[in-house]
Amino acid sequence: MSVFGNRVQRAQRAEMAIGERELSQLTRELDELHESTFPQVSKTIDELAANLGTVVRQPSTRRSFFLGAAGAVALGAAAACSSRPSGPRASSSAAPPPAPPETYPGDLKLVAVATALENLAVSAYEGALKKAGAGELGAVPPAVATFVQTAMKQHADHAQAWSAVLSRAGKPAISDAPLSITQDQMAKFAAVKSIPDLARFALNLENVAAQTYTFAVANVSDPSAIMTAATIQPVETMHAAILNFILGDYEVPDTLIGTGNALKPDNLTVR
Amino acid sequence: MQNIFRRLLQRSDDLHSDAVRGARAGLAAGDDVAALQTAAGLENLAVQTYQMALTFPFIGGPQAKPEVKMFTERTMAQHSEHATAFNAAAQRLGGKPQTGPDPKYAEVVKQAVPNIKSPVDAVGLAITLEDVAAQTYVKDVGLVSTAELRQLFASVAGVASQHKAILLLAQALLKANQPQLIARPPEIAQLPAAAGSVGFPDAFYPTAMAAPVEEGAVK
Repeated sequence: MSVFGNRVQRAQRAEMAIGERELSQLTRELDELHESTFPQVSKTIDELAANLGTVVRQPSTRRSFFLGAAGAVALGAAAACSSRPSGPRASSSAAPPPAPPETYPGDLKLVAVATALENLAVSAYEGALKKAGAGELGAVPPAVATFVQTAMKQHADHAQAWSAVLSRAGKPAISDAPLSITQDQMAKFAAVKSIPDLARFALNLENVAAQTYTFAVANVSDPSAIMTAATIQPVETMHAAILNFILGDYEVPDTLIGTGNALKPDNLTVR
Repeated sequence: MQNIFRRLLQRSDDLHSDAVRGARAGLAAGDDVAALQTAAGLENLAVQTYQMALTFPFIGGPQAKPEVKMFTERTMAQHSEHATAFNAAAQRLGGKPQTGPDPKYAEVVKQAVPNIKSPVDAVGLAITLEDVAAQTYVKDVGLVSTAELRQLFASVAGVASQHKAILLLAQALLKANQPQLIARPPEIAQLPAAAGSVGFPDAFYPTAMAAPVEEGAVK
């Protein structure tokens, strides 16, 4: 909360002292509940990793690429570099070398997409906090501040879950967002100047995530991967529901969660 | 609601992992039909319950806030479409459509209705039904035998959970004696900080309260 400065804290103190206390208690209980359910999910992740590969550990070096222009350049460079295989170039007269094996084969490619997408969401919300702290979004309502912080934490949990699968399968960690949509999302984020702008930006990202997981449950074969995607998808839709509420839409807009805007394996820019 | 939720979780024998094991074992086509019929039963019950709720003056009558009435009507229509989708899938697999409500939760609704005296009571009942539906469909994603059915269950789970998110937020505002904040457009600046997180309590959607596959199967 401190990143929003004294303005938000003053607003919180001034508004709804009684309701605030009750709701904060409720939130603490829910947070405890989250902590109590996470071990079950961890068990599923372990099963998924065991199915997909050998256990190895690699350090995470997440970049906060929504936090500034320098980060944006770094991400763009990383995405561009990682989309090309490394190594000496073949001469034009020689037979083309066989394509190197994919870094993330089979189900792991969608796991990599999911990891990158969750990293993108975490960084977007981190960037939102920075913009808010710098006063670039205007007055930040306390409820929006809480939304951003809580959604960011849940996306970090999701990223951690998927990263653990990659790590334990012996695959390189994905600490940024090597996705075909990343540059476009960064440009859109740069244009966010207000709370409604932020809500619309985040709503799109949450909807993409929800649709990606809806696609994933039908397009991965590992049972643990299916269940991991299945238990994350409703959380993204709930984020979307609250963002719709912030934008003034109480009714849930779609009768079914589609897949038209889902990210697919081809959206990963790492081979 | 959260205490009930916690007790159920504590009692559960790691149903999330059970769901994974079930998926690994795979279900027969007959079980797919049963899962779809059970889902249709939950949807039918939701439709009936929202229909009943609209007869309360504070949900669908003159005392009702327009936002509450519109949400209820739209949500009821979506559940009706979900029931149609589940029954169509069951029939494509050679099963009969489930036209009745889920038997277990129909009893829960029956017992709850006489005690509904205010919007917060009605919202609490709706949260229970939406949550059971969402948890059931999340678990069924791991149990059914085809990719098409996995996608159907996930597609509907994501909508039921959205209903739950809005209802949790509304419930919190009602319990805080702030019904005026349920408005269109919302007074975002007036919302308490916790309103930003109360709608999505879990980082991973639980399945401990999922209805068993056979619960609403057509006999």
